Amino acid sequence: MGQYIVRRLLQAIPMLLLVSILLFALVNVAPGGPLSQFSRSRRMTAERAESLKRQFGLDKPLTVQYIVWLAGNDWMAIDTDGNGITDSYGTRKGVLRGDFGFSYQNREPVLPQIMDRLPNTVYLMGLTLIVVAIIAIPIGIISAVKQYSAFDITVTTLSFMGQAIPEFWLGLILILIFYVGLDNPVTGKSLLPGGGMYTIGAEFSLIDRIRHLILPVSMGVVGWVAWWSRFLRSSMLEVINQDYIRTARAKGQNERKVLYRHALKNALIPLVTMIMIDFPYVFTGAIVVEQLFSWPGMGRMYYDAATSRDYPMLMGVLILGSMVIILSNLMADIIYAYLDPRVRYD
Amino acid sequence: MAQLGRYRLLTVLITIFIVTAFVVGCAPQEAPPEQPDVEDTTTDDTTDDTTTDDTVAKTSIIILIPDNPAEFHGYGAGTGFEEAISEMVMLSVSEIDDLGNYFPELATEIPTVENGGVVMDEETWETVVTWHLREDVYWEDGEQVTADDVIFTWDAFLAAEIWSSATDATEYVKKIDDFTIEVKYYYPNPEYAIHFGGEDFPIFAEHFCDADQGYYEWDCNRQPLSDGPYILQEWVADDHLTFVRNENYYEEGKPYIDEVIFRIVPQESVKRAMMDEGDADVHYWPAENNALSYMEEGNGTKFAISPTERWVMKIFPNLKARGDTPGEETIPHPILADKRVRKALRMAIDVDTIINDIFLGFGEPVWSEFFRPPFEDSCGIPRPAFDMEAAKALIKEAGWEDTDGDGVNECHGCLYAEEGDLMTMEFMIYAEYGETLEFAHQFIAEAWAALGIETKLSIVEGAVLWAQVEDGGIELAGNFDINMWDNGYGGVDPTSYLWDYYYYASDSEWNLANWTGEEAETVAALVDELYSTDEEYRMEVFCDIAWILEEELPAIELFSTLEMFGLSDRMQGVKPTAFDILTWNVADWTVSE
Repeated sequence: MGQYIVRRLLQAIPMLLLVSILLFALVNVAPGGPLSQFSRSRRMTAERAESLKRQFGLDKPLTVQYIVWLAGNDWMAIDTDGNGITDSYGTRKGVLRGDFGFSYQNREPVLPQIMDRLPNTVYLMGLTLIVVAIIAIPIGIISAVKQYSAFDITVTTLSFMGQAIPEFWLGLILILIFYVGLDNPVTGKSLLPGGGMYTIGAEFSLIDRIRHLILPVSMGVVGWVAWWSRFLRSSMLEVINQDYIRTARAKGQNERKVLYRHALKNALIPLVTMIMIDFPYVFTGAIVVEQLFSWPGMGRMYYDAATSRDYPMLMGVLILGSMVIILSNLMADIIYAYLDPRVRYD
Repeated sequence: MAQLGRYRLLTVLITIFIVTAFVVGCAPQEAPPEQPDVEDTTTDDTTDDTTTDDTVAKTSIIILIPDNPAEFHGYGAGTGFEEAISEMVMLSVSEIDDLGNYFPELATEIPTVENGGVVMDEETWETVVTWHLREDVYWEDGEQVTADDVIFTWDAFLAAEIWSSATDATEYVKKIDDFTIEVKYYYPNPEYAIHFGGEDFPIFAEHFCDADQGYYEWDCNRQPLSDGPYILQEWVADDHLTFVRNENYYEEGKPYIDEVIFRIVPQESVKRAMMDEGDADVHYWPAENNALSYMEEGNGTKFAISPTERWVMKIFPNLKARGDTPGEETIPHPILADKRVRKALRMAIDVDTIINDIFLGFGEPVWSEFFRPPFEDSCGIPRPAFDMEAAKALIKEAGWEDTDGDGVNECHGCLYAEEGDLMTMEFMIYAEYGETLEFAHQFIAEAWAALGIETKLSIVEGAVLWAQVEDGGIELAGNFDINMWDNGYGGVDPTSYLWDYYYYASDSEWNLANWTGEEAETVAALVDELYSTDEEYRMEVFCDIAWILEEELPAIELFSTLEMFGLSDRMQGVKPTAFDILTWNVADWTVSE
């Protein structure tokens, strides 16, 4: 297993490199540019725009831009003041040395900005994923065990609804009900806040944090629960009709033990894989949830960077997402092998 | 059993993840950036008496904006909110009020010919303007605001190669003494009164900002030193900016509100909900449907609008063939180069219906660039009539007619297209404006279809529409037929604005309509005439330009989109303006009990 992990990690390096080349090319060849916001106004002269392009290195061929992004420019003479003359060595170290460049929008380094937002997204999406697991797993089990019961039919109906409801619309309805409609009977204020991570200016309070989490987490949970519970139901149904379950029952094992010790463990294995496939959302965020609930996370950062053609920021977020996807796929394989003794990679 | 152990281990790992996520997410926010020592800074009670989004304290207000401002001046970024936050913390030498009057801020008075502050050499036209600064304004660290700060900011502005009417006109800016600045212009600068002012020119502290970092890059763009009514206390990116009262503000007793929070809420409907719930006080630039609700009585909100408008929705016809960039041999646009066609296009647009039914009444018809003070009655130009029959006749007169009955005109004797060519064009808007513009887009296209003009409707991102040519920019490359978007000018004097959009020059990339020819050159000559101190003469020149633009239609003005804001009932003293940004008088704002 150890060898397998090392091999996969080594394979991930060229994979990531390839992904970065593709992303860099796609981001840069898309129409539009970071200086478009100035083009409607004479305040940014054409000369200044050219100068900025030279300063940002946007005048260089795409391959050179990529190499600078990857390996920095502290080994090459560049035009630091944009006057068309290469005057000194650059200061960028490149992604390989942990320097993701600076944002064209606010001229701040990219990595600290990502690191500012990442915990917010992990906090929201991580908890969402956990709540989904807590709700979806029991529902999936009960639905399978009590197939075609009133519970199963109700859950199945709700699951289809959950998958069909547009996330954005659901968020608005939640805000309408719990922020606009319902009031806290004690304070007379809205039952739940309509957005943000915490109450601005207030002392830290765990209850306040939880209140701010309820609506965005609920919005994310609905679709995922519907999907995961259906998946687990199918998986569980497949398992409980297997011969070894029948054998366990024939041996006189009580039903609870049969279900939880023998059936569930095997039914969960495919779900674990699915969880790991969804795991990157914990780091990359969800644009819709973050936009609607004014959550300062990675999803919004990505959206803003994309609309303003802030290439370094966009690349930073995309590369982080790619890394997490590659790693979570590796994790899925490892966990799969760990949980299922039949799976061997050696 | 071994498998059970594996599950236990997995459970432990998940539990660790949950705890980590919660601890990380729940961690109290980082302390705000360290500010320099302040002699007499904001007292603790203002920060203790902070707002919550559930309970807004009486001396604290929340302003809702959709985007995270990039920095504290508007030259390096384009969200439109940079100017609003810069007004909170930094003063300019002069400003413009909501009625279009200049007023001094760091200056003791606005220099004029009458008070001896403006002296023009009648022979050379060189003009010298002398500014006297107040001596009672201090930065938050106790340093005095002096002429050095103004000159420092101007030098940084020049080094950043930012264009303004002043940059072309200025021979020098020099310090006479700590509180006197002399500016010499090569010729009279009509916008001299806001040379160091207006929404775009906050004065930065010389001793605090690092000039070597440059105007765009310096740290004081994000952590400015305040001499304005407020001090930046906290900036949580994409979440909020908190400003607290500057106890050292030079106007005694002001500002009246202790704390102002800019909260970043991207979703329009959420902003509206927050206003309705009493959790916010200012809804910056609400959508028309929300503005309508703020106008209704009894819902705890009200509506504020500037006395005059600024933003005008316009149609930009490309008068050259697509892709025929300025500076090259010109090929006229096969359809739009004929001004009769442009006139017919305008005649076919029912502006009143667009304003009333699509923009819900939030707009005023506009048909001239000179529609707002100081100009009166659009220089006497009568409002063009909406007249489909006359438009059809004009199209026919221009040599376009549908003879095969397919609903699209063909060229039969038209000026610039081949015989039989179809009257088909692309009609483009930008995506970010939203659905009202999309409805107007479709509505206008339908009206033109009734004239036999087929339009392919396109909606593109602003980042593509206005990008540089090499980035695939559509407008600068001339790759369009007809575009529609809104623009307008801040300040009072439109000279720079006219330069932007109508000054014909072979290498001008801002002459978006690619307007050339004798009339364009006449307008350019008239714009040059505007550099005068004779206001009466200047007004005549402006109106001469207005009449040429009316005749030639290099752009078709449709209607103003109003400078409007939703306010909570308790907000007092907010005066939206077309000449500056909303927060221009934030020190005067109050909240009622």
